Amino acid sequence: MIKYKNNLINNTTMLAAILSKQGRNRTFPAFFFILFSFLSGYTNTSYPDTTENVLIINSDISIKNYSLAHTGFKSVIPNPKGEINLGNKWKEKSETEKIIREASPAIIYCIGIKAYLFAQEVTNDATVIFSSIINWRRLTIKENTYGISSELLPSMQLTMYRYLFPKTNKIGVLYSKEYNEEWMQQAREDAKDIGISLVGIPINKKTNIASALKKLLKNVDAIWLTSDPVVLSKTDAVTNIFQQCNAANIPVFTYSEAFIDAGATLVISADIPTTGKQAARLTLDLLSRQEKIEKVNTPAGSHISINLKKVEENKLLLNAEALDSVNQIIQ
Amino acid sequence: MWFPAFLCLFLFTNTLAPCAEYKYTIYFYNPETNINNFASLKKEFDLYLSRFGGYQFQPFSEREIFEKLISEKKDGIFIISSWHYKQLRENISIEPILVAVSKNKSTCRRIFSTSRIINDISMLSGMNVASASSEDYTKNVLIQMFGENKGAVASSIKILSVPKEIDALMSVGFGMADAAVTTDSSLAKLSAINSKLHDTLKQLLISNETLLPIVAVPKPQDENHKKLAKIIKDMETAVEGKNKLSMLGFDGWKILNASEKEYLEKQ
Repeated sequence: MIKYKNNLINNTTMLAAILSKQGRNRTFPAFFFILFSFLSGYTNTSYPDTTENVLIINSDISIKNYSLAHTGFKSVIPNPKGEINLGNKWKEKSETEKIIREASPAIIYCIGIKAYLFAQEVTNDATVIFSSIINWRRLTIKENTYGISSELLPSMQLTMYRYLFPKTNKIGVLYSKEYNEEWMQQAREDAKDIGISLVGIPINKKTNIASALKKLLKNVDAIWLTSDPVVLSKTDAVTNIFQQCNAANIPVFTYSEAFIDAGATLVISADIPTTGKQAARLTLDLLSRQEKIEKVNTPAGSHISINLKKVEENKLLLNAEALDSVNQIIQ
Repeated sequence: MWFPAFLCLFLFTNTLAPCAEYKYTIYFYNPETNINNFASLKKEFDLYLSRFGGYQFQPFSEREIFEKLISEKKDGIFIISSWHYKQLRENISIEPILVAVSKNKSTCRRIFSTSRIINDISMLSGMNVASASSEDYTKNVLIQMFGENKGAVASSIKILSVPKEIDALMSVGFGMADAAVTTDSSLAKLSAINSKLHDTLKQLLISNETLLPIVAVPKPQDENHKKLAKIIKDMETAVEGKNKLSMLGFDGWKILNASEKEYLEKQ
């Protein structure tokens, strides 16, 4: 069915109801706006036989990272059957549902959590591929659900730390046993392979993070702030971590650009356009019924931001050769 | 008393005026690298170039736009890949003058690395190959590596375009891609950083040696082209200039010798 190709599709639905049904106590504005299929004619590689039956649902294309994932996907699959933007306008959910059901896509690519939850709600038999979702492990993964995670492997991050700062040998991590014990074990082994000693202090909900960090700072060259939900449970906890590290002149390496203003020295995150391209490759593999397909793939590209002022303040030895790998330099 | 003060102000503002306008531009496009840090590149290069007057740096991500510009613009010089120059030279009147240098070498080889056991090239069919170069360029390298009679294998390869060569290599090592096409220097870097990961990669095919990116000027050259070329050539002598070059992946530039010029003029 190519009924919706090149058509303008308009519709909305109520996200709050879906989220509530999923048992999450979030109060997202429940506005959906469904848009378009403006399909470009340009492509380097075209897959005319396989792209007709793919639908993209974007949580909100006005959000930069969602837009980048969308563009990345379309650089590989330029002519999907339809593209829906769940933006910020109110309308009825049923109309959108109807459009998706009539389109009957074989695969739906969902960008962001809103799109994912919406697709899960309105489709049963379509294969769903997600990206741009933080901590995908909290999702219910059905048999026909696939995705690209938003978190880089710890070994990738550690390799980049070694590349950028060859003399930074001892890195400290606060982590919760409840969520990240296995992760920490693996990261320790990975670190050992490249000559980094990873010093971890386990914490729980009752731990005084400030004292744990104080102990850690005495013994390390840098702090690796990960997305551990216990460590990041409160906004002021994050502020305090950066204040303590700053006072001790110890750099913070972390995973999100949101921490740049807080004083992070180095941010290594997944490269969003690459996750979109990976999702498209996964789509093509699924459409061609390839065997041995991973359910959730790890991001293959990294995005690096470095604060050179902090590098200088922290007296870090930066490998200048590695600057060709840095995406954003902050002075 | 007011008149001399006004005259001083007039002379001062007129002295500054030429610096406020951009004179010539360095236009940059390189399909051999998937450089996407354009904002930082422009900011850093513009800052460096500003000390010499009103020069600026303009990177491009779209080949078509760059090619249109290179055929029209005479107000600057071009940093382009040697592969791209060979494709453009018959239609566009530009002259190569410098070639990039990295670790005292002006050439590199591309290497096809995989963690799989491969006994025959046909086993590479349909593989996901990570590359930090453009899809066009990577396919071209693959065809050259595989040999003309294996063109079907090369076209069946699925290219996963990643931002950096180190990402491409890690993608193979950590299982996100089946193989990678990178330069020999990136493999050497990985070996120094993570030898265990490097050792999991088998270097299956090696390309011919190619020249690193070049600096080319429009014909005929004028004084501003010469001045700007000298500024680029001298970047490696200042720490700040060297750091900016590092962002492009080079240590410096050298004047093209006869054999390098011959290589560029060959088909």
